[in-house]
Amino acid sequence: MVNVLDRKLWREVRHSGGLLVAIVSLIAVGVMCFIYMRSAYHNLEIAQREYYQQNRMADFWVDLKKVPLAELDRVAQIAGVTEIRPRIQFFATVDLEQVAAPLNGLVLSLPDRQQHVINDIVLRRGGYFSGRRDNEVIVNDAFARHHRIQPGDWIHLLLNNRRQELFVVGTAISCEFVYLVGPGAISPDPEHFGVFYLKKTFAEEVFNFSGAANQIVGLLAPEAKVHPDETLRRIEGMLEPYGVSTTTPRDQQASHRFLSDEIRGLGVFSRIMPAIFLAVAALVLNVLMTRLIDQQRTIIGSLKAIGYEDSQIFWHFARFSMAIGLMGGLVGLGLGYGMAGFVTQLYRMFYEFPRLDNQVYPGTYVSGVLISITCALVGCLHGARAALRLRPAEAMRPRPPSPGGVIWLERLSALWRRCSFGWRLALRNLVRQRVRTAVGVFAAAMGTALLVCGFMLGGALEYLITFQFEHIMRSDMDLSFHDERSVAALHEARRLPAVDAAEPVFDVGCTFVNGSRRKRGVITGLVSDARLTTPRDQQGRAIRIPDVGLAMSRTLATLLDLQVGQPVLVEPIKGSREPLRMPIIEISDSYIGTAVYANLAYLSQVRGEEFAASGVQLAVHPAATQRKALFRELKRLPALKAVNVRADVIQNMQMIVETQRIFVYLLAIFAGVIFFCSLLNMSLIGLAERQREVATLRVLGYSPWVIGGLFLRESFVITCLGTLLGMPLGYSLSMLLAVLYDTEMFRFPVLAPPDVWLRTIVLAATFALLAHAATQRSILKLDWLDQSKTRE
Amino acid sequence: MTVHESSPSTNAPDTSRLPLMRLSQVGKTFQMGEVSVEVLRDIELSVLEREFLVMVGPSGSGKTTLLNIMGGMDLASVGQVWFRDRDLMRFSPRDLTRFRRDSIGFVFQFYNLVPNLTARENVLVSTEISQNPLDVDETLDLVGLADRMNHFPSQLSGGEQQRVAIARAIAKNPELLLCDEPTGALDFETGKMVLRLLVDVRERLGKTIILITHNSAIGQIADRVVHLRSGQIQGIDVNASPQQPEEITW
Repeated sequence: MVNVLDRKLWREVRHSGGLLVAIVSLIAVGVMCFIYMRSAYHNLEIAQREYYQQNRMADFWVDLKKVPLAELDRVAQIAGVTEIRPRIQFFATVDLEQVAAPLNGLVLSLPDRQQHVINDIVLRRGGYFSGRRDNEVIVNDAFARHHRIQPGDWIHLLLNNRRQELFVVGTAISCEFVYLVGPGAISPDPEHFGVFYLKKTFAEEVFNFSGAANQIVGLLAPEAKVHPDETLRRIEGMLEPYGVSTTTPRDQQASHRFLSDEIRGLGVFSRIMPAIFLAVAALVLNVLMTRLIDQQRTIIGSLKAIGYEDSQIFWHFARFSMAIGLMGGLVGLGLGYGMAGFVTQLYRMFYEFPRLDNQVYPGTYVSGVLISITCALVGCLHGARAALRLRPAEAMRPRPPSPGGVIWLERLSALWRRCSFGWRLALRNLVRQRVRTAVGVFAAAMGTALLVCGFMLGGALEYLITFQFEHIMRSDMDLSFHDERSVAALHEARRLPAVDAAEPVFDVGCTFVNGSRRKRGVITGLVSDARLTTPRDQQGRAIRIPDVGLAMSRTLATLLDLQVGQPVLVEPIKGSREPLRMPIIEISDSYIGTAVYANLAYLSQVRGEEFAASGVQLAVHPAATQRKALFRELKRLPALKAVNVRADVIQNMQMIVETQRIFVYLLAIFAGVIFFCSLLNMSLIGLAERQREVATLRVLGYSPWVIGGLFLRESFVITCLGTLLGMPLGYSLSMLLAVLYDTEMFRFPVLAPPDVWLRTIVLAATFALLAHAATQRSILKLDWLDQSKTRE
Repeated sequence: MTVHESSPSTNAPDTSRLPLMRLSQVGKTFQMGEVSVEVLRDIELSVLEREFLVMVGPSGSGKTTLLNIMGGMDLASVGQVWFRDRDLMRFSPRDLTRFRRDSIGFVFQFYNLVPNLTARENVLVSTEISQNPLDVDETLDLVGLADRMNHFPSQLSGGEQQRVAIARAIAKNPELLLCDEPTGALDFETGKMVLRLLVDVRERLGKTIILITHNSAIGQIADRVVHLRSGQIQGIDVNASPQQPEEITW
């Protein structure tokens, strides 16, 4: 269009200095959030989709006691089932020479010769099974990396009560273990849990499973995938005689759920966070543009007088905004790409994909730039419209003084009388520049909300660990057995070296039913005076295990729409599957899983047994030498399915917390950008508008610091109001995020200890002072003598 | 020598030149909050082609408002404003823009240059939208700024800035040049140089010039002088032999 106006535009952009940097930073951070979160979202989503497709991720898993392979043909015929694969799966104890503690392993069978099976593996090092020996093993790559296990090494596993020596031929990853968590765990623990693939023939021989399997994985036809329940019920029905213990559709599978929850959470975050930034940016830009256009009144008048059309002038200013939006967008793209790379790198620590690359998504990037430009355009609309409304003759006249008069605060005469001159000036300015004050308060509130949210989330994770592992689960070590054991097992455990106390645990897998609502879960039977597991209520008070009936977690009770006093139908998934009606006596609270507790004696009794235990919890002496002796003993115990050491679990959780802390710090930095940039913008715009006023005050003998104090009072009021509003807003935002991130496996506690508020206030004050420092610098640099001569 | 016309309404046009602009019964009222202020009343005036017309009046006499109405920058509240055979009162905002673009050149008291553009670019601002512009460099040469054309307004003196503003006004080759106190912000000598330039422009380019000022001495260089007071034309003086800018003093 008009070249020479473009030149004017470009020079204005270049000369906007600090204001420009501030507004571009705001937009850039918003776009960066958008790009990195959307990219990370797409990176994970695409990696998941491709991996599942290439390696034929199963649609369902059926665990059973033992089924002859010949019986499975009928299952494959069920409508909706397209393919099945029987396999053998057992938990095993892993005995590594260099590691004192017994480690946990999941053993799975694979065809002797490589085929493109359901849940196929991807070899990372070494190769597939050879024909040279039977006892070959492929180890999951993370476990192997952690323990420096190489192809060609020998390792020992306790398989079916026998210590087996296995030759490592390769390491691999699998699409069903992208997020590999051991039984009962919520974070990957490659140090203590691994997956071990054995040749099918060798597994059949070792576990006495010749021509049989104890797990079926399968694929469903597209229509059955959408609602798999009916198909799965038919499969269960058909396999009923073979002791079906659990049927798991894909959306319930642990790895898939963790990964999908994360992807979903990212999707949510990627909409909320950038929206906050861009809203603030648009509002601040609105103030900036209104100021700019006001400053250029006479230029606009001259252009109109010369014969420029309104649309040309509108586009001139619109393009100025678009240029700012484009700059912010492009900077945001660059930063977003870098951040996406960083975040994707973090995800690689937890998720095992064959490829998890940080890719450039043209659609996302174009959207990012379009959003930033739109945000900038929206920001300029108000100001540019004002430019259009000006008649050229009107624009030529000096701007009439802004309407003065008594502000409402002055009516509170008792208060007003106490205000010093400086405060009166500041308050009048704040009230008269309502829009600008409101935008400043809004931006400060958003910054505060993000800070509060960040601190609350950070604190929540630490509290979660304390609550879960110090208040609820207090055992040092949990042993779980392959099968239910009698009271003898408890006595045996008490005799183990270093054991100070041992308490039995009886886990009964079951389906809870209330009307049409069904949920799979576990009832944990505890002795009435259990000390190593203490269910708690919302306030953290210990709940007594009821003699009869259940203490159910709030999450599960909510999912099943149950309240205290109501009965729930319990369908056990092992042994006698006769449905049992049990009353809910207590509601417990926890942040991990959906625990349900019952008295062990009561649970044994309703199961028709005198005493049954599926595991033992131990309090162990802390001395290292004694623990070593315990570990040595445990490695020899054949009945053990898994050994979980609390310290290891906490250490793993700490790693997640550390990762989350990075995100919290990032959030604090983003909040700082909002705070600092918006306050700086407001102050600089205010200063630009009142240069003559400042000059007059200097002429009258005010020092630049006293004048700075006037501006500081204004930003103090804005920061205080914004912080006060932002704190409850941040609390609500945390609640919202807790709700959005709420999964059956994991919940964020919404906690706001005093230090959250204190840290927020200190940081808010720091950001405000930093922004003021920049304003003070401008006041010091102002050529007031020149300004006092300049005409309006 | 000057001839004083008997009444404002009998400013009979010179038949050798055609009227370029004619105002009839023009009035303008501003609404200031709850108060109406009548700024112009019963203005009757004809401006001839190639005429140099000076309107003199004290502050608040309505001369800027009148100039704005004649330049299509503002609309009269009542009356008719004819530019040749077109009634400006019937113009839409778009028509007014086109009118200002094609037919009017403005020179302001405070120059109103775009600070971010050089002298040459400030002139380009107007030539880029006009249909039949003059050559920018020649125009700057005409106003004596050929060697300063790449300077920014802040690097030019007041007189130079006003010369850029005049160059900007004439470069788009308008028929009518409207000057609002063009010497108001300048010292005596510089003011006279600017007046000389305006006289030259009228003579060399054959433009019609209307200049408003509170300085009655400037009226001596005009063909006619319109005296305004309290929004009304008090009288119109005709200069049979206008003086040269160099000859006048104030």
